[in-house]
Amino acid sequence: MAAARAEGVAGAKRWHLPRFALAAPAWVWFIAFFAIPVLWIVFYAIWGFKPDPFTRIAIGDPTLQNFRDALTSTFFKTFKGTLQISLLGTALCFLIGFPFAYWLAIKVSAKRRSILLALVIVPFWTNFLIRTIGWRILLQPEGPLASFLGSIGLLDGPLRILDTRAAVQLGVVYNYLPLMIFPLFVALDRLDPALREASKDLGAGGWTTFRQVTLPLAMPGVVAGLLLVFIPLTGDFITAAILGGAKGNMVGNMVFGRFLIAQNWAQGSAMAILLIAMIVGTLAVFAAIGLGIRTAIRRGRDVDLSVGVP
Amino acid sequence: MSTIETRSRVDATNLLMGIWGVLVFVFLFLPIAIILVYSFNNGRALLEWDGFGFGGYQAMLDNVTIHRSIVTSLQAAVGSALIATLLGMFAAIALVRRPGRWTLGFLAILFLVMVTPEIVDGISLLIWYVWLGGPFEAGLLRLWIGHSLFSTAVVTLIVRARLSGLDESLEEAAGDLYATPWKRFTEITLPLAMPAVLAGLLLSFSLSLDNTIISNFVSVAGTTPWPAYVFGSIRNILRPDIASTSTVLLLVTLAALAAVGYVLRRSGDSAENVAKTLTGV
Repeated sequence: MAAARAEGVAGAKRWHLPRFALAAPAWVWFIAFFAIPVLWIVFYAIWGFKPDPFTRIAIGDPTLQNFRDALTSTFFKTFKGTLQISLLGTALCFLIGFPFAYWLAIKVSAKRRSILLALVIVPFWTNFLIRTIGWRILLQPEGPLASFLGSIGLLDGPLRILDTRAAVQLGVVYNYLPLMIFPLFVALDRLDPALREASKDLGAGGWTTFRQVTLPLAMPGVVAGLLLVFIPLTGDFITAAILGGAKGNMVGNMVFGRFLIAQNWAQGSAMAILLIAMIVGTLAVFAAIGLGIRTAIRRGRDVDLSVGVP
Repeated sequence: MSTIETRSRVDATNLLMGIWGVLVFVFLFLPIAIILVYSFNNGRALLEWDGFGFGGYQAMLDNVTIHRSIVTSLQAAVGSALIATLLGMFAAIALVRRPGRWTLGFLAILFLVMVTPEIVDGISLLIWYVWLGGPFEAGLLRLWIGHSLFSTAVVTLIVRARLSGLDESLEEAAGDLYATPWKRFTEITLPLAMPAVLAGLLLSFSLSLDNTIISNFVSVAGTTPWPAYVFGSIRNILRPDIASTSTVLLLVTLAALAAVGYVLRRSGDSAENVAKTLTGV
């Protein structure tokens, strides 16, 4: 038996494909339609220019002119506005989503949880764009929300939020909230209730247990949720296009305009690179802050709780 | 005394969280409910309510452009879901069963694909397709590729999570019993991975149906998927038929989800696992 098996292995070795063979089609796919195209943006941003109004792109000498042209005062204003919307939006998604995910994962009975979880999926399965159009209907000056707020005495006159930055802020929080809820729910749902009980048995109150046990263990879900919301939110232009009007433009709308309206691919590419730099830079700053806080907390503890926790 | 006090504080916290939960649900459903209501708007413009009626539904049935956009959406979703599921499933099997030095590089590119904002995928594919020309001028191929990138990464991670929980002994046993690699794959590995493969297929399908950003950049006149059609109409005028079509699509999607959930339930999954499969978490 052992001999037969050894022979089988040796026989298999003779025609064995390289270890990554099964992943090769995916490799090729990602290189051909993700890595090279993204590098093409860099190529167009540095070597490309718009020769005349009727040509989208031509290749010339390498220059930083496209970046210089992209960095107008309008761009800086939009850049600042986008950063504000995306940071505040991510924070709000977390503040709304965390108590909700905690309630769903820990407080609700198991029987009701599956029904409620199915209900959370429904908005996720309704088109992003359609939901945003729903907000456009709701937020109209004399629309449903205005008449509701008027009837309970909270609003006098028309609702003036549509086509402002506030409407975009509301729209992005709404649109990206499910992306925050899912990873938080998974992280909290996986926690063994025995850990919380043990903490309480050892004399810790509810708040201490939450701060010292639940929150640190849910941290991977928190980080995943923050990334899943912040990155697509910063690149979004759909929400702003529907709710923001001229005042609510985001960097994504400028990139969209350069590409599909002005048909200036060289400058659009430069702008897209600035958008990526903005996302990566912000993430780097927050990663540094997060690591600093973690080190400080660990130093302040007598016992390292992270040992043995994946 | 103090236990009673703690008790009532805990009850108060629970009550507050329950209220918060209900409020979040109201928030999540508010714009969907308004779309359902306004799908019965009899006026010419979606945003101005002009009495109850079925004008939107009638217009939807008469609008050939809407029909074509939905057919395109379905074609794009089927194609990209199949591509993503096949590529992702095999990549996941390789990651779990044939790890090596290549694994780290592959996971790095998966991570990059997942964190790149869609607008970057959209413009990079647009300029790349135009540069390549030839078959890449065809609308459907452009959509299949564009929608499959993120989904392939998602399928890979879902199937990988499922397979890494199962050790290789069953496959080895089949090998000891002289099963060919192909038989080993179809009779052992594939059935084991099936729940994750199905979840990945379903998720890729829905991600493609929902995709607006990439579609906006790469779609060609004549093969405009439904979300790109809607985004195009916001620049002109939104008519109630858009809300009516969305309502029908939502009902069809929910029916399909319920059917899949029912099948998974029948096959012995717990209700919570079914819900998780459908969300892809």
